[in-house]
Order: sequence, then structure tokens, then C-alpha cells
Amino acid sequence: MPIVYYLYLSLALFCIGIVGVLTRRNAIIIFMCIEIMLNAVNLLLVAFSKMHPPKAGIDGQLFVFFIMVVAAAEVSVGLAIIVMMYRRIHSVDVNFLNRLKH
Amino acid sequence: MNALLLSALMGVVMMFSGIVLKSKAAIRNIAIAGMLALLLVNILEMNGTVFLVIDSKGMIGFDRFALLFNSIIFFSTFLYLTLSARDMEKVGVNYAEYLALIFFILCGIALVSSFRSLIILFLGIEIISIPLYILTGSDKLNLKSNEASLKYFLLGSFSTGLMLMGIALIYGAKGTFYTSGINMVNGAISPLLIAGMLLLMFSMAFKVSVAPFHFWTPDVYDGAPTVFTSFMATIVKAGVFIAFIRLFDEGFASQQPKWKLIIAILTAATLLIGNITAVFQQSVKRMLAYSSIAQAGFMLLSVYAMSPDSKEGLILYAAAYCMATIGIFAVLIKMSDYTFDGFNGFAKQQPLLAAVTTIFLLSLAGIPLTAGFMAKFYMIKAAMYNSGLLWLPILALVMAAVSVSYYFRVIQAMYFRESSTPSTLTVTPAFRYTLVALAALVVLLGIFPNLLLAWLYF
Amino acid sequence: MENVLQIVWLIPFLPLLGFLVNGLGRKYMPKAMVSIVGCGVILASFLMSIWVFIHVREGGGYVADYFNFIVVDKLKIPFALQVDELSSLFLMIITGVGFLIHVYSTAYMHEEKPEHFGRYFAYLNLFVFSMLLLVMGANYVIMFIGWEGVGLCSYLLIGYWFKNVAFNKAANKAFVMNRIGDLAFLIAIFWIIAKVGNANYADVIAFAKAGKFGASDITVITLLLFVGATGKSAQIPLYTWLPDAMAGPTPVSALIHAATMVTAGIYMIARSNALYSLSDLTMHVVTYVGLATAILAATIAVQQNDIKKVLAYSTVSQLGYMFMALGLGAYSAAVFHVMTHAFFKALLFLGSGSVIHAMSGEQDIRNMGGLGKKLKITSFTFLMGCIAIAGIPPFSGFFSKDAILLSAFEENKALYAVALLGALLTAFYMFRLFFITFTGKFRGTEDQAHHVHESPLSMTLPLIILAVLALAGGWVGIPEVFMKGGDKLSAFLSPVIPVKEGESPGHSTELALMAISTIAVLAVIAFSWFRFRGYQRKGEAQGLAKVLENKWYVDELYEKIIVKPLQQFGSFLNDVFERSVVDGLVNGVGRAVSYSSRQLRLLQSGQVGSYVLLMVLSMLLIFVLQFFLRK
Repeated sequence: MPIVYYLYLSLALFCIGIVGVLTRRNAIIIFMCIEIMLNAVNLLLVAFSKMHPPKAGIDGQLFVFFIMVVAAAEVSVGLAIIVMMYRRIHSVDVNFLNRLKH
Repeated sequence: MNALLLSALMGVVMMFSGIVLKSKAAIRNIAIAGMLALLLVNILEMNGTVFLVIDSKGMIGFDRFALLFNSIIFFSTFLYLTLSARDMEKVGVNYAEYLALIFFILCGIALVSSFRSLIILFLGIEIISIPLYILTGSDKLNLKSNEASLKYFLLGSFSTGLMLMGIALIYGAKGTFYTSGINMVNGAISPLLIAGMLLLMFSMAFKVSVAPFHFWTPDVYDGAPTVFTSFMATIVKAGVFIAFIRLFDEGFASQQPKWKLIIAILTAATLLIGNITAVFQQSVKRMLAYSSIAQAGFMLLSVYAMSPDSKEGLILYAAAYCMATIGIFAVLIKMSDYTFDGFNGFAKQQPLLAAVTTIFLLSLAGIPLTAGFMAKFYMIKAAMYNSGLLWLPILALVMAAVSVSYYFRVIQAMYFRESSTPSTLTVTPAFRYTLVALAALVVLLGIFPNLLLAWLYF
Repeated sequence: MENVLQIVWLIPFLPLLGFLVNGLGRKYMPKAMVSIVGCGVILASFLMSIWVFIHVREGGGYVADYFNFIVVDKLKIPFALQVDELSSLFLMIITGVGFLIHVYSTAYMHEEKPEHFGRYFAYLNLFVFSMLLLVMGANYVIMFIGWEGVGLCSYLLIGYWFKNVAFNKAANKAFVMNRIGDLAFLIAIFWIIAKVGNANYADVIAFAKAGKFGASDITVITLLLFVGATGKSAQIPLYTWLPDAMAGPTPVSALIHAATMVTAGIYMIARSNALYSLSDLTMHVVTYVGLATAILAATIAVQQNDIKKVLAYSTVSQLGYMFMALGLGAYSAAVFHVMTHAFFKALLFLGSGSVIHAMSGEQDIRNMGGLGKKLKITSFTFLMGCIAIAGIPPFSGFFSKDAILLSAFEENKALYAVALLGALLTAFYMFRLFFITFTGKFRGTEDQAHHVHESPLSMTLPLIILAVLALAGGWVGIPEVFMKGGDKLSAFLSPVIPVKEGESPGHSTELALMAISTIAVLAVIAFSWFRFRGYQRKGEAQGLAKVLENKWYVDELYEKIIVKPLQQFGSFLNDVFERSVVDGLVNGVGRAVSYSSRQLRLLQSGQVGSYVLLMVLSMLLIFVLQFFLRK
């Protein structure tokens, strides 16, 4: 299968993620959309790593693991922040985040 | 390398010190001593003493520029801790953890200042960002702090996504994560590379709050506990800037014609939005947030000019900006009222603090005989020499003039207005002496900038 | 061997030392100590300036290079001080007049608290330091540092005394105007650096003389420098801050806003004369802006009643003359006028300070009158100052003003006529001030009448010295007509300022011009004598005899055809032109910024969604720009 298919698929996923961030108001869903963006990147990296010669290719797969680990760390912090917010205002709607402006 | 390892170690030490030690003063002293040790080992490394060599396969490279920059970062953090570490107690109970997070952030800065591979860049940026999300939200009972934290987290993760996509596209085009490999020109330039470069640029721009990716900055800086805003606005911002300039200097130097104009546009937008929006702010804290955006615009001039002297300029600028802003924040943290009116009559109540604050403000505004003037001078001169665009340095000068108006509002409030409430401010003598030393340093660097820059070459 | 002039750094350093000592020790030192330190350092600087002046006169100028201030690969900006004919002359004026004003201040400010007293002298010393740096710097960057420094001190000194809302407005106005000027100056400096490669005067002048500047570059640079000068030296359109700045203590007005700081612009242009001579366009702009300012300010001065406001507008007007001289290429005449003006304007300001002091703070001349009998020294020295500024031989003002008028005559007869008109206006408003204040009957309150007394010696002595200088200061520049080689000043300055070549109008013409201006000035003085010697406030009951005496037909006629229109014109300029046009322009800039600030602020909506949207949209825009709009 040509590499561009993977490219298109992953870009499509990435754009779905961005559109999700733009349109959804629930903080958790926004966060899930960001995770979709990250996974689109993982997919792309794996595809590229198969495309490049083996020596350079291994770097790409390695990077995927880094991303997964960092994303996990980010999830733990992020969910904690969302929970903290939920305890205060009993909502995870980002439209309520408007005390700080101008 | 010394500093990288020690900072990570110190982070762990601080976490455990919270469990072992009960006295906050002891924890603070450990942190400050650790900070000094960090500075020391970094300076030793500049003189060639490396304690532990780790083979990073060329992914990390500490050169003179990175080391000097790290020294400035560590020195600023040292000052920051001596001036403001006490105030972290007010934020919440997890005192040792805050300090641990600060050391982890320094570890991230050491990584991004020396990266040779985009993997390290990504890791460093994340190591900086994740603790910052926590620090921003550390005032758990304050709704503003919560809100700032969540906003920062959502927008920050979004920009991480952009960065990763950018790295992936570059990898697709070049087959490597090394900056040297990315810089090599072989055959036609792939659009993947350019798209990846732009995405990477956007996410870096986000981290240093360059317009139009700056929107998180005022809200987060405003909402976060002031003591951490000070850290974020100075040390972290300068730390990410070195990654920015390194990325474009080593990774994309061969693509200069492709990004120069875009950086110029971003710079102009940042200067305009930062400076002009700052004029109408009512809170000094929020004004300083916009001022940090404005100052980022000036620092971006060094990326735009991209020459040896622009790197020097960035070093000087980072030092001048960090010192002055840390000083102002150190005073601001002590105030009960963050509006401009809160500073009314400050010169009467605290003549010394008012005088040093004035020096810091003058430095930020770029008035001669302060470090800020020299820094701006270097930046604008570099931009004037290394570009075909004359309008950008001129815009920078005009905006520097505008910036005077909002910095002087504070001076005006301190000196020319009467206070309605008596001062409730109490500071220790050590705090005063550190501030005075800091102000002296700002003036000294304004007269002999080469004291600092000579380190780059000897 | 190292040149002995290497130690000139002491000249600015001493006042800096004074600033530090007075600033840090203001809480602990008694007033006498503060006075001794404050005056002593300036006196020492003055003595050194004399020594330097003598050296320069014998051995020429010298550039003392200390260390490299800025080094960015090819660009080196040294911290170097330059003493040559021009700067050593300014040094003497600054430290000499500065010293007298310091001495005067010790008495004038005596009622202040010791702490404030110390701070006042600290600022004053800091000002002298900055001003010395400004004139001694060997490149434009050092000059700029001094330039900013004097502005800051002036801001501090005015602001320190007046903490009300009106002051805040005035300070902001001064601030915006000076910033506009400074900005232009800074852009010019960068422009010069970009073209020449550094900012040393010697290199820039050599570069200019070699003709390496492009014609458009030189015009832009000189115009930008001139805009910088208009800010600091209060020329149209950036002049209105100066009269407002008179809110500060009178000695400050004398030192900063009359004798030294405001002449910084003149110094800068005289220093850059090699650049200016290359651009005809700029020279014309400078000439006409200077002339317009001179006339405008003189007209406004005619109807002012605040003693300091009259002097303030008079300063603006005299500065206009100096700029006109610069524009005409008569640089040495401008410098000459700077010098004589420093003497007589400092004298007048200090004299007015003595009057205000005697009148317990009263500044309105309508409430004075008849003070000549009580303040003998003050009134006599004030009269000397008035004669000097009016330009009657052999007083100093005559020679410098004559040199300027002569160069105007050589350029263009109409220019001369207008300039002469301005000179007559000067004589008119100055003698109006003098007669209303010092002659006639006392019009103040009983209290004031009791209180009126001559000032102490430390105030009158500077007045006397300045009066002597106002008389004799012009004798260094006696025109060739009277004395062969009499114009020592131009000869002295010639290494820095080339002597202007051109046809002299001939001795007889020159003499005739002098005669005309002197007679006209005398006539104007006589007129104002008749007009104002028995000045009474309007609406006051007047005795029958007085009515008769005043009912001169001629007087009425004068009143109708000259004075009234003149005063109305003056108040028109003051109210309409200055308040709405000039201030409107300056405030407009500020308002535009604050308006856009308010609008831009709304972009920061607080909504995460809108932030992401804006970010994504700008990303798309940049992508479109990168991939579709560029080749």
C-alpha cells in the first residue's frame, strides 16, 4: 500500500481531532480529541518508520513509545485537573471557564 | 550534562524531603543549596569538568551557548528562590512538591537547551509543561487558579499535538530526528518538511506565547498563584526560547527563505498585540502578562535575525528580562492589591523597594544605563543588520516607546500619587538586600554587557 | 604618553558622586552638608571644565576612550568621552551656570524638610551628570543615554513637587512628547549605525564628508534627528510641554528648562553639522520651524500674566531663534546664542524666583508692581537680563541675536524682517513684564506688602554674577565690523564647526542693520514704558487724575491697533492653536493607542474554544500564505 494512504488517514484523524477540540464543550471530550490527534501522529510515525530504511526506521517506532508514555503522564495530570474543576463547579463544560478574560 | 542529572536528582530529593522533614525552612534551605550546587556544577562544566558522561548517541550536546544560557537560567532561579520561595507557603500545603516540580522544570530546560534530536526537544518541552499545569492549578481552593490550570492544560496539550504532527511530518520527509540531518539539503524540498516545520514553529510559538498563539498567556499568568507566574513568565519562557532559536538555527537554517517572512509576521503581531493590549490593563499582574508577550516579541527578533550576534543578544535579553521581571514579581507578591492603585504612594511607604522596582521597570522599558536597554539595542541592531526588512526594527522601536507608557504608570503610581490605605507590607532584610543586589546587577549589565557575553568566548 | 585629558571622566563622575552621596545620605545628613556636597561637586566639575577648556584651546580636542560599551561582531560602541571646542564650551556653561543655580537653590529650597532637600540636590546632581554625559559622549549612543537621563530627571523634579491631577496631565504630556522625539532620535541612530557601521562622531562625519551617504538617507536621518531635537528643545509641534513643565521649582526651571537641557537639541544638530549641511531640504525645514516657533511663542508670551509662563514662552521663542540659525547654517551663531541665552535666561528665571520668594509664592504679575524699590538687587539684575534679551548693545544678547539676524538677512530679506519682528516682540513682552512687576504701585495684599524683602546673599550673589555675564558674555563674539578678530568664538569653534563661507553683505549694510534693530528695540521699550508703567488691574477704581493721564489719544490708538489685536492673537494661539491643534495631535496619538488597546483586549474572550479557533484560523492563514501565495 502506498505511504500516502497512511498519510491521508492520519491527517484525517488529526483533523477530526482538531475539529473535535473546536466544537465540543465537554473538557473530557476535548481531551479525548487531543488524544486522537496524538494517535494520528503515532500511526503516521509507524508508517513512516516502515517507509524509511531499517536503521533510520527504528527511531520512529521508538518515538511512538515516548509519545505514549508522555501522553499517559499528561492524562494523569489532566484528569486530575478536570476532577478538581468538577469538584468546584460541578461541571466540565469549558464555556464556564470565563472568569479570566480581557 | 552535570546540571541535567543533578536537577533531576534534586527533584527527587525535594519530593522526599517533604516526607522526611517537617520544617519548611529546612526544605527551603535544601532547595536553595541545591540550586547553588546546580549553578556550580554547570559553571564547572563550562570550565571542562564533567562528572558523568552519558552516551546520548549525539541526541544531547552541551555547547558553550547552552551552558551559558543554563547558567543564566539557574542563576535567575536561584534569585527567584531566595526572593520568593517563602511565598510558596501561602499557596498550599505541598511545599516540597512545588520545589520538586521547579527542579523538574529546570531539568526540562536543560534538555531543550541542548537538544540535537527532536525526540529530546519533545521530551524537554513536555517535562517543562506538565509540572507547569500542576503549578498553575496549585492553589486548589481558588477558582481562578483552577480555571487557569484547565485552560492551560487543554491548550497546551493541543499544541503538543501540533508539535508531534510537525515532528512526524519532518521525520517522514527526512527520515531522521537529528537536527543536523534535517538541515541537510538533498534534492527537492518536500512539502512535508515545510508543513512539519510550520507546525513545529506554531507549537514553539505557543510555548513562548507568540501571537497569535498567545491567548493562554494572560489568563494563565493571571490565574496562577503569583509566585508561580513569576517563574513561568521569566525562567520558563527564556528556557523555551533557547529551544526555539536552536531549532531554527540548527534544524532549519537551510530553509531560511521559507520561514523568515512568517517569523517576521509573528514578531510584528506579537509586538503589536502585547504592547498595545498592555496599555489598558487595570491589574499590574495582568499588565505584566501582556508585557511578557511584548518582550517575547523582542526576543523573537533574535530568531528572525538569526546570526551570531542575535544569539548573544538573546542571552543578554534573557538575563535582563528574567532579572527585572523576577524583581518586580517579588515585590508584587508582597502586595495585597494587584491593581495600579495598589501601588499608590508606595514610594513613601517603602522608598527602597520603590526605587529598585523603578530600576526594574526602567530596564523592562529599555531606558539607557539598564540591562534592558542594552538587550533591546542588541536585538534591534541584529534585526537591522541581518534583514532586508526595515519596517520590523522600526516597529519594534515604536512599540518600545509605547511600552514605556504602561511601565511608567506603575512608577507614576508609586511616586506621584497618595495612598489611601496604610502599608501592611513586611519584608525581611535579606529580601531587601537581594533585591538591591539584583537592581545593581541590572544597572551593571546595562553599563558593561560584555561582562556576561565574554563568557561565551573565553 | 597618555594624554592628560584622559581624566575628563571626572567631570561627569563628580556630580554622579554627589548624587549618590546626597541620595543615599539624605536622611542622615544635615542641610548644610547636603548643600556643601551638592554645590561642591559641581564647583569641582566647573574648575575642571575650565582646565579642560584651556587645554583644548591650546592643544585641540581629544577623545578619551575608556572601555567598549557594546561589542557586536563588527560594531563597536566604545564608552568614550570627547572634549573638543564645542563640548568644552558647553561644559563650562553647564557646570558654571549649574553651580550658580545650585548655590541659589540652597537658599531657595531652605524651607524644605532635610530629606526632601537632600533628594532635591540628588536629582539636581543627577541631572548635571546626565547633561554632561550628553555633551561629552563621543558617539550618538552615549549622547542618547544622557538624553534620556536629562528627560528622566526633569520628569522627576517636576513630578516630585506637584502631586496633583493637573501635574499628572502635564507630566504625561511632557512624557508623550519627549518619547516621540526620543523615538525619532533612536531610529536615526540605528539608521546611522546601519549605514556607517558605528556611531562615533568622527567616523560619521568622515563618512558624510566622503559623500558616502545616499541623498535620501541623509535627508531622512537629519529629519529624524531634528524631530528628536524638537522634542527636547520644545519646537513646533512638540513644544507645549515646556510651559507646563514650569510647575517645578524655579531654580529647576532655570537650570533644566531654560539654560541647559532644552539646548540639547541645538547641541545635537551643531554636533551633526556635517550631516545637516548635506541636506538642503532639512535645513529649510529647520529654519522655518524655528522661525515659526520663535514668532508663535513670542506672541503667546505677550498676553501671559504668570511671571514664569512669560519666561517659559520666551525660552521657546529664543530656542526657535537658535534653530533658525542652525537651519541657516550659522551653527556658531546658534551656539553663541545658546551661551548668552544661558546667562540671561538663567538670570531672569532666578530673578523671577527671587520675586516669587519675596512675594511668598505669588506668580501673577498683576498682583505685583512697584517691587523695584524693595528688591533693589533683584530688580536691577532683572533689568540687565531684560536688556540683554532685548538685544541692546553692548549687552550679550545683542551680539548673538545680531549674528542670527545677519545670517537671516544674507539668506532672505523677508526672513530677516519676520525675525526682526520677533525680536521686537521679545523686547515688548520682556519690558512689559519688567514694568508691570517692578514699577508702578504695589498691587498685592497687605500681608505680602509686609513680607516683601530682598533675598539673602546666596540668592542675590548668583544674580549679580549672572548679570555681569549677561552684560559681558557676548564680548567673545564681537562682529568684525567693530573689532578685527573680535569674533573669537567662531574662530575657537572652527575645528568643529567650519566657518561659514559666503558673501558678507558689507560693513555698511551690517552697521545699518544693527542700527535699525537697536533703534526699533529702543522704540518698543519706550512704547511699553508708556503703556505699562502705571499698570492697573482692569475693573479697579481709578482716581480722576489717573484717568486723565491715561486718556491719551495716542495710547488709545495704540491700544486699539496694536496691543489689543496682538493680545487677542496671542490668546487665540494659546487657546485654539495650542490647546486643540497641538495638544490634540499629541493626545490623539495617546488616545489612538488606548482605543486600540481596549478593542484588542476584547479578543481575549476567556473562552477556550475561541482561543483554539483563532489559533487554527491563523495557522490556516499562514499555511495558505506559505504554500499558495509564495512562489
